Amino acid sequence: MIEIVNVSKWFGKFQVLDKVNETIRRSQVVVICGPSGSGKSTLLKTLNGLEEFQEGDVIIDGISLKDPNTNLNKLRQKIGMVFQRFELYPHMTAVQNITLAPLKVKKMGKEEADQKAMALLERVGIADQANKYPGNLSGGQQQRVAIARALAMEPDIMLFDEPTSALDPEMIKEVLDVMINLAKSGMTMIVVTHEMGFAKEVADEIIFMDQGRIIERGTDKSFFENPKTDRARDFLNKILL
Amino acid sequence: MLAYEFRWSVLWELPYAVWMLEGIWTTIRLGLISWVFALLLGIIVGTCRVTPYRPLRLIATAYTEFFRDIPLLVQLFFWYFAAPRILPTSVELYLYREVPQAEFWITVIALSIYTSSRVAEQIRSGMQSISQDQFNAALSTGLTHFQMYRYVTIPLAIRIMIPPLTTEFLTIFKNTSLAMTVGVLETTFMSQQIEAYTFRGLEATTGACIVYLIITMMVVSGMGLLEKKLAVPGLIARGR
Amino acid sequence: MGGFDFKVIVDNFSFLMSGLLTTFQLAIIAISGGLILGILLGMARLSSRPYVYYPATVFVNFLRSLPLILVIFWFYFLVPILAGRPLGDFLSASIAFIVFEATYFAEIIRAGIQSIPKGQMQAAYSTALNYRQMMGYVVVPQAMKNMIPSLLTQSVIIFQDTSLAYVIGLKEFLRSGSIVDSREVRSLEIYAFLGVVYFLICFTMSTLSKRWERKKGSLR
Repeated sequence: MIEIVNVSKWFGKFQVLDKVNETIRRSQVVVICGPSGSGKSTLLKTLNGLEEFQEGDVIIDGISLKDPNTNLNKLRQKIGMVFQRFELYPHMTAVQNITLAPLKVKKMGKEEADQKAMALLERVGIADQANKYPGNLSGGQQQRVAIARALAMEPDIMLFDEPTSALDPEMIKEVLDVMINLAKSGMTMIVVTHEMGFAKEVADEIIFMDQGRIIERGTDKSFFENPKTDRARDFLNKILL
Repeated sequence: MLAYEFRWSVLWELPYAVWMLEGIWTTIRLGLISWVFALLLGIIVGTCRVTPYRPLRLIATAYTEFFRDIPLLVQLFFWYFAAPRILPTSVELYLYREVPQAEFWITVIALSIYTSSRVAEQIRSGMQSISQDQFNAALSTGLTHFQMYRYVTIPLAIRIMIPPLTTEFLTIFKNTSLAMTVGVLETTFMSQQIEAYTFRGLEATTGACIVYLIITMMVVSGMGLLEKKLAVPGLIARGR
Repeated sequence: MGGFDFKVIVDNFSFLMSGLLTTFQLAIIAISGGLILGILLGMARLSSRPYVYYPATVFVNFLRSLPLILVIFWFYFLVPILAGRPLGDFLSASIAFIVFEATYFAEIIRAGIQSIPKGQMQAAYSTALNYRQMMGYVVVPQAMKNMIPSLLTQSVIIFQDTSLAYVIGLKEFLRSGSIVDSREVRSLEIYAFLGVVYFLICFTMSTLSKRWERKKGSLR
């Protein structure tokens, strides 16, 4: 349902993405890994239009991002995103963070929005923090609220940009658990991460990127046990101590 | 429609052009001289604002607050009209009659003191933005306090402070225009002098505007070059 | 030299106070008008449309390189020409101040909005909010907390700037003091009095604003 066709992107003279091609089917969980600067976050952000690209196209459920007639806002209702630094709105409580978009974009009634928000908070395990401000929440809690916020618009696809990189080690598990449950419920997920444990458990496919290109693809077993390329092997050696 | 005859030639006719040039030269002199004094005073007061020695700190804080909360024009009038009254009459007369261009130097005093209080603030905030750990790192390698200030703190602080100090430098040039009220023959004064003779106020004032615009552009590009030469990568965030 | 004689202040007190009133009136008009125009200019400076961005940028940068005195003179000459007849110094001073100070407010507003991290914008967009919703619910509320101290400081500066209307003869506080001085020549007492009054007002305003800042604290 997501087709990435020959996408290339330059920042000035520097090429960030180089003819990237990939197809992602419904309910697939894809993990993208690679060294910093390899373009993985940028690629993720091209999928919901947060980053533009000069060449190629991204087609989601038949809708092309290059098409000037495409309504980007409408498309974004189908795609949720979770950021490395959580990016919760600091001036709103957890519940308000979650209900903002449903209220203003889907024009949901306030009671309905609040109920759905509470249900989502339960699902990610922090219903008791509903009325707290992000400043009073731990990193792990904030990220779980961020996941709930992304799920509030009932998306078909969830994008995760290094969701645990900014977390203290003891909080990584609580966030990964939420993500694993989400994967098992059949959500289509594209996750940029270094957490290979997560990848081994739920990923259907692992993509290794370097310098803007997809160097290697594989199912988790084949990738971890027998990386085909040297660069992938180097990378895995460095992160799997 | 507009019952006004424009006569832009007042800007380059003699003697008006000569007046303007004299005015521009006075503006430049006034600005540069005041800036030198303002910097010296400002660095002293600013450093006092951050010493651990409490009495100095309080005096410096009072100085800064006082001169920032009174309009510059009021301060100028005080130095020009009021302060000489404290002096014995003979000194006062000497000041007004014998000293050439007394009003120029009185403006330098007023402008320097006012600007120094603002410079002191910039210095203070520049110094405070250098983290304590920098000091610790320097001291832990065996440098004395003095060496640390000379080789680490002050060079770093200067680079951080160049953008806000550039703003102050520009401001002092703009503030020289206040000297016209006490009869200093600088740019703004001259433009109004031309107006008095030719009744072409709009043209004369526009001419003066262009002068200040050129001064500003020159200072900004000059400071930009200075910043590039001294730049420390990653220290001053740039970008839109 | 003679001794201090504050009788001159007492005798002319009501005259001086009427000057102070004019100062307050001019300041209030300058601050409110400047703020409104400044918001428009600030938003224009953030626009991605070149025909909005470039004129606004040129305008703001041009005015910020000029001394206020000159801008006051310029409008003093321009306004009667446009209107066809003299319109009074308070009016041309008001217009000059509003236009001039708006450029300073515009920069404060632009900087305040740009200080909000890009990630907030991206997070809002990723939940399908549009530009207006993102600005209105996410960016501006956060930016306000950053902007208000600078806006208050600028207002204190405007209050002091009103003294420059002296040059076109407007009878604000400084001018009234100077008129009394030319009549009575008790310069020391008069200018000391002016200085003290300005100081008390401005110091109070900036102390109150610092206290407000500390109370509200910061979000991040």
